[in-house]
Amino acid sequence: MQVKWRNNLKNGWRYAALAPILLLNGCAGNPYWIFNPKGLMADTDLFYLILDVVIMGSIVGLTALLVIWFMWRYQKGKNRGKYDPTWSHSNTIEVFVWGIPIIAVGFLSWFAVKGTFEINPYNPTVITNHMKPNGDPVEVDVIATDWQWLFVYPQYHMAVTNELVLPAHTPVFFRLTSTAVTTTFFIPQLVGMIDVMPGMRTKNALESNNIGEYQGIASDYAGAGTSWMTFKTKMLSSADFGQWVQKVQQSPTSMTYTSFNHYAEPYIDVHHKVAYFSSVQNGLFDHVIDEVMNGKTWPIPPMMTENMVAYMQKQDAEHRD
Amino acid sequence: MLVDLAGGWNPMLGRLAWSQIPYDNPILAPLFVAVVIGTIIILGLITYYGKWTYLWKEWLTTVDHKKLGVMYIILGLVMLFRGFIDGLMIRTQQAWAVGTHSSGVFGATHGYLTPFHFGQVYSAHGLIMILLAATPLLVGFMNIIVPIQIGARDMAYPYLNALGLWITAAAGALIMISLFVGDFAHNGWFGYAPIFELQYSPGVGVDYWIWTMELVALGTTLGGINILATIIKMRAPGMSWGRLPIFVWASLSANVIALTSFPALQVALGLVAADRYLGAHFFTAGLGGNLMLYTNLFWIWGHPEVYFVILPAFGMMSEIFPTFSEKPLFGYITMVLASLAIAGVSWLVWLHHFFTMGAGPYVNSAFSVATMLVGIPTGVKVFNWAFTMYRGRLTFNAAMLWAIGALFLLLIGGLTGMMLAVPAINYMVHNSVFVVAHFHSMLLVIVYAIFASVIYWFPKVFGFKLDEFWAKTMFWLFSAGTTLVFVPMYMLGFMGMTRRLDYVFNTAWHPYLLVMEFGIVVYMISVLAFFALLYVSIRDHAKNRVGTDAWGTSRSLEWLTHSPVPFYNFAVLPHISTRDEVAWRRDNGIDHVQPDHYEDIHMPNNTGVAIILGGLTFVLGFALVWRIWWLCILSLLAIMALVIYRSFKGDPGYIITAAELEEMEKDAMRREAQIGKQHYRVGGGVLGDAIAYERSDLPPLASQPGSSVGLDHRS
Ligand code: HEM
Ligand SMILES: [Cu+2]
Ligand SMILES: [Cu+2]
Repeated sequence: MQVKWRNNLKNGWRYAALAPILLLNGCAGNPYWIFNPKGLMADTDLFYLILDVVIMGSIVGLTALLVIWFMWRYQKGKNRGKYDPTWSHSNTIEVFVWGIPIIAVGFLSWFAVKGTFEINPYNPTVITNHMKPNGDPVEVDVIATDWQWLFVYPQYHMAVTNELVLPAHTPVFFRLTSTAVTTTFFIPQLVGMIDVMPGMRTKNALESNNIGEYQGIASDYAGAGTSWMTFKTKMLSSADFGQWVQKVQQSPTSMTYTSFNHYAEPYIDVHHKVAYFSSVQNGLFDHVIDEVMNGKTWPIPPMMTENMVAYMQKQDAEHRD
Repeated sequence: MLVDLAGGWNPMLGRLAWSQIPYDNPILAPLFVAVVIGTIIILGLITYYGKWTYLWKEWLTTVDHKKLGVMYIILGLVMLFRGFIDGLMIRTQQAWAVGTHSSGVFGATHGYLTPFHFGQVYSAHGLIMILLAATPLLVGFMNIIVPIQIGARDMAYPYLNALGLWITAAAGALIMISLFVGDFAHNGWFGYAPIFELQYSPGVGVDYWIWTMELVALGTTLGGINILATIIKMRAPGMSWGRLPIFVWASLSANVIALTSFPALQVALGLVAADRYLGAHFFTAGLGGNLMLYTNLFWIWGHPEVYFVILPAFGMMSEIFPTFSEKPLFGYITMVLASLAIAGVSWLVWLHHFFTMGAGPYVNSAFSVATMLVGIPTGVKVFNWAFTMYRGRLTFNAAMLWAIGALFLLLIGGLTGMMLAVPAINYMVHNSVFVVAHFHSMLLVIVYAIFASVIYWFPKVFGFKLDEFWAKTMFWLFSAGTTLVFVPMYMLGFMGMTRRLDYVFNTAWHPYLLVMEFGIVVYMISVLAFFALLYVSIRDHAKNRVGTDAWGTSRSLEWLTHSPVPFYNFAVLPHISTRDEVAWRRDNGIDHVQPDHYEDIHMPNNTGVAIILGGLTFVLGFALVWRIWWLCILSLLAIMALVIYRSFKGDPGYIITAAELEEMEKDAMRREAQIGKQHYRVGGGVLGDAIAYERSDLPPLASQPGSSVGLDHRS
């Protein structure tokens, strides 16, 4: 029942959102990632967005109409409405003036709290309440560096840079940290933002039933390479995911604490370089957090990107991977 | 040295070196030349016309709150212009650097700004617009209007007032000089931990950012103390709390916020400075630092600050709507309560700026609900303005248009604010251009209210009205710019475009970015219209002269005295009989009653100490940025010596005798009579027990006057 009115609400909104899209983007597909969620978390977020806009929008819309009507009716010299030069108080109106916002805010507050628990990144009930008793969630440890993403799959002892591949119909749980500075992990169509901070661990989770490719973004400014710090997220069928895991596991390279230190040095990922690591030293994620807490930093040279072209030449010459 | 500095340091010049001057930068070098030439021309003109003494005596050393206010506003407008240029640069980069195939010049791979440079531009844009444009503009208006509205001759502390201005100006100078000497912070106007630590921002940019903000914070706190003391202690006889004009209430609540929240910013930045200068670990990721603490401390100031700037804007709107609706403000008491409620709640919501930092659902829920509570008094205000227009007689002149524009922007900003307040929505649009669109809607409320006020109060300060045609033209151009820039920006927010991208990876966003580029060009044209407005109005000023009550429908006390306001504001302090005093006097035909005799008045002397202290704080800031320790110590000692000297010397003030006063008043009245709009009547006591001026030969006012417009309780 509840699910149904939620869906009706969302579909209605999607059709409404279609109009400007057709107008401006022709056949390029729906560019409104936020209105076009492909995962449970993003879907829930959209529900609350629509609810909020419907409630607040109707109040704001009516107020706007009221103001416009007053502007029309009481314009000087037009004599459309009665002029009362001393009228400045009415208890009835005061009750409405305070009452309407109070009721609206009360109503929204209830939903806001409910929603906060549903999409709580540490324990999102939209995912955890529906987990199969023996469902085997996928775990991913996310390590953000300046300015790349490393996705470690501890269950498979492997890692991938700058590309996130996940099975559909499966809950995915993330642990996230960063080496140098703070940024934010965001896949608009799948899951909302969570900060990624050095020396600390945050969590997030997602689940999607839609096979496809989605854009991942570093959504908080982290320095010169932030704009290029994007990653593709691929949702695969479980069979395809299994094959992909095997492919990664055949990669000749591996990631150790030492090679990680080299990898984590500042690097602008202009070419969206994807690399596979068939094995990862155990506990890399915790090791990074420990090191940072003990004072390790990855300093940025002064004026590093004062001339970006020159810097890119230098970086390309270094052939880093 | 306590910390390792990249790029060397020497005892004489600190970190300063030739390589820090960007003379080879293709954007900055020509700009620098232009600035130098412009400065030489201006200084030359001043010298040529022999205006140095005038400038020094009448402006630079003044303690007159109106002149200080005007200088605050000029400072704010100059910085607003600089901020506009930054905005143009940001928009141009984002319209250009889209997709892998976009071209790049000046060392950028895409567009014309390198990432480091782009970061500096938007960080400066944000800081300038909020702290050096909006804040001084509003402080300027509070400075000018509050004392007149409460019937005072000046601020409680005239010298402190000047000091506040010159320290703020020093902050402005510091951020401007960062263009040409060194660089500015790239880490956003609010700064992130730990990217502003020395390891990740080794240059002087962050140091400029710290000391600029520290100086503005100091200047604004001093100003806040002054305005609070003025409102509490300097009200004219009869000006009880219930009769206070609504703009004064707004200023009061705003400055309570300022006084209580700015110290948090100063502490936060002080700790950042400790990290960067002393090698402390307050906000580092490791060694016991807590970077989330910075974010908390910053927003404990940051959120109240946004209400510090919006409340005076609400106050301005609450003055303008009644004047051009020709009736009192609807729900005065409600309005006062709403202002105080906004101020109160604004301390309790800071966490909504980082719902995504990973606090638990209970914490996020609490702050979400608290944030939405702010929506209640804000909504109440909008309704009250609407009902002020109800049964009114509305004139849509330029001031009213700007105020109505502000009202509609507030509706949009409020709607989007209420969206952001829900964590489930916030997770999707936080750090996206949707947030940028939200707060620009809100800050534009302020900009609109400011332009409305410039038009509304200009005749009071300068004695003539601004040109209606150009004021309206500017309004429509500016509003077209607003629509063209911010409608696409909201749309991009829903497309998932995140903020602060120096390179835009998604080409689907390009059309929208191009529309926004067009919008910012329209904005720039509206700026030209503003210059035209000033030019035409000054050219035609003789035609547009006004009497005391410039609009004929004004309501509060500032419209009782002459336009332009004499330096002593009121020759004889008026006796306040009701709320909306001027409307009441006008309705009872006593608005042009003049006092029947004058008494000596006591005024503060001008002082050069304030501007010298301002200059010294600038030197101190500059020395701190570059770590020129001897200069730091020297300027600090000089500041201390000067402060102590001034404290012991004090200011005996001077006396304007009754005869001089009468002469000046007669002049003013003669001028106003020439305009043909004023007929003066002499005599103090009128209408039974109502009094226009406090007079020793009359008993103190015992009862309310019969016809008190603002207190009519008919429904
Ligand atoms: C109805 C009242 C308002 C509500 C509910 C509200 C809510 C919010 C929320 C939740 C955020 C955080 C967004 C995010 O970063 O995820 C935010 C950001 C912001 N708001 Fe509002 N807001 C309101 C009014 C205002 C006003 C009056 C101003 C004043 C100009 C303002 C200025 C800002 C600014 C400057 C930011 C973001 C600063 C930044 O991240 O750079 N807001 N608002
Ligand atoms: Cu943390
Ligand atoms: Cu806030």
